[in-house]
Amino acid sequence: MNTEPVAIIAAGAVTPIGADLDAFWTGLVTGTDGVSRIERFPVGDLRVGLGGEIKKLKRERRGDCRASQLLFAAADDLRARASLGAPPARVAVVLGTALGGVEEGEKALAGDPSARRAAAALYDGPARALALRLGARGPVMTVSTACASGATALGVAADLLRSDAADLVVAGGYDILCRFVMRGFDALRSLTRDRVRPFDRRRSGLLLGEGAALVLLARDRDAGERRLGRLLGHASASDGAHVAAPDPEGRGLEWAIRAALAEAEVGAADIDFVSAHGTATPLNDRVEAAVLRRVLGACAERIPVNAIKGALGHTMGAAATLEAIMCLLASREGVVPHTVGLEEHDPECELDFVVTAPRAVRPRVSLSTSLGFGGCNAALVLEGDAR
Amino acid sequence: MTGTEVAAVGVVTGWGEGAAALPSDAVRAAAGRRVIAAARPPLVGERFRRATRECLLGVAAVEALLREANLEREEIRGCETALVYVTAAGYGAANHGFIVAGAARRDVGAGAARPEDSVGGLRKARAGAVASSTLHFPYTAPSAVPAEVAIEFGLTGPYVILLGGAAATIDGLWQATLQVGRGRCRRALVLAVETFSECEELWARGRWLLRPPLVESAACALLIPGPSRATYAPAPTESPLEALARARAGETLACAPLIALALARAGGGAGPFRLTGQWRGRRAGLTWEAH
Repeated sequence: MNTEPVAIIAAGAVTPIGADLDAFWTGLVTGTDGVSRIERFPVGDLRVGLGGEIKKLKRERRGDCRASQLLFAAADDLRARASLGAPPARVAVVLGTALGGVEEGEKALAGDPSARRAAAALYDGPARALALRLGARGPVMTVSTACASGATALGVAADLLRSDAADLVVAGGYDILCRFVMRGFDALRSLTRDRVRPFDRRRSGLLLGEGAALVLLARDRDAGERRLGRLLGHASASDGAHVAAPDPEGRGLEWAIRAALAEAEVGAADIDFVSAHGTATPLNDRVEAAVLRRVLGACAERIPVNAIKGALGHTMGAAATLEAIMCLLASREGVVPHTVGLEEHDPECELDFVVTAPRAVRPRVSLSTSLGFGGCNAALVLEGDAR
Repeated sequence: MTGTEVAAVGVVTGWGEGAAALPSDAVRAAAGRRVIAAARPPLVGERFRRATRECLLGVAAVEALLREANLEREEIRGCETALVYVTAAGYGAANHGFIVAGAARRDVGAGAARPEDSVGGLRKARAGAVASSTLHFPYTAPSAVPAEVAIEFGLTGPYVILLGGAAATIDGLWQATLQVGRGRCRRALVLAVETFSECEELWARGRWLLRPPLVESAACALLIPGPSRATYAPAPTESPLEALARARAGETLACAPLIALALARAGGGAGPFRLTGQWRGRRAGLTWEAH
């Protein structure tokens, strides 16, 4: 198995703070707050009715489920920036999701008797729909390592390229806000009534968001000149500790980070920037900060860290891909977005967080971390193209 | 890159445990039944009190694997074991329960005169109290099944979860060969779990997708370093093993390639194995051949 770097040629996105990649970036650096009252479905019976809801899509098509619509919007953005110049059988699609087509399941059980609706409830439906739309006839995969899905999907995509099972891969993640997930997190009391405050002393929980993020990947030697950056390393690992909470020791996350760094053949001293998962739940942020201090050692003192869920909400399956894209855009633009919502440092989460305003640095190598239900952990090591 | 081999396969289905429990003709054995259910495995322990049936089936499949391989639990514990989990339908029961329960609660909350007057009646409302509770929601995630397995057996190594039918299991086996082959771990478990009973009506709507009987199953293969090189590629036609697994077991979705492996091993085959798996128009293939 070779571990050659994989080129990230281009990206596309649709998010609560911007309807395409450029607007997403502008929203990040201007500190736009994408959280609002949810309007698309009833939330009156929930403790918290806020989330990072996308209010309007550029082109809504009747008949497509919302998850597919978000993916199509991100794919349109991606294709405006790069073409899928490979035979269809050599183009793969690998998507991460925590929820798949679950909203279609809600509709199927609420009185829509159609076979189409029932089939759309399968979690792999949106990936298949995107492959059909793109004309991609290579492997089509759906990864569901919960909220780490968008990172694991990029790793699986890199494996496809390194194994010569595809020449191009459209990879990324998506998830939508729906009653199912809002009701679940509301019942868990994981949603904050305050704002999302990653790593803040006063943090009291997360808010959910929706979005889709896609990248176009190719073998580095095949990618030509134009690229956003490279995926140098990836790993996913299990906690084996709890169904719904991170391992208090963060062993799975630590293993994933160390394995990703090893695959990338970089050490802590090579890391210029960390995009943290930073859900703003008390346990996640404490565990994550402790793991980052352990892995980065003395280098942790000088490595800028941010978390963008304060601006977007937690976009679940899309989150890790959006964060990976943010790392690459930070390299290109020479600025790291700040952590919206972080105002009072938590002594238990001592890292060099970017706060208040974006910081003018141009990271070359970035580390992005992700955690999810089911003890899922993932880490990506990315290299920006600062040319 | 290191080669791999399949060291053992554990199988639990609605027909019983192991390949030997499979009928010679699943359609005939089903005698018109659309779903062949697998019983809730009788696992003891407080930790399993809230676990869903599909979680317990996953644990039972790994236990069957350990018996087959004559391994102790301690021998797979830790970060040297990768866990690759695949399912097309394994989250369906928990999702169904959570949605139906939520609807019942909303009906009650919205002012139905009495719970038994609401859609689905009192039984649904009572079920709602359980299935829409705080404790149930995490089990709606596809990652709940491998999480319970990882917790039970102390698995803290590489972790991949793929959703889809038999083609996704071929993808999962390929992922396992990579994890072992690149030296990230010493062994990999490829686990699949499928249940249908709770969503039987939804599956019946999609008759074009599946041919009955739908057979609830859990299966787990153990991959270790070995002499064979795995080749992963699209497959234009079904392999004899794919056809055999469907004929003997019925429709088992993501479990099918693992059941095919179990049948091949039970038949005395040491390889090479040509496995294929099809799902929603895509057929993937994996062949193990000697170096």
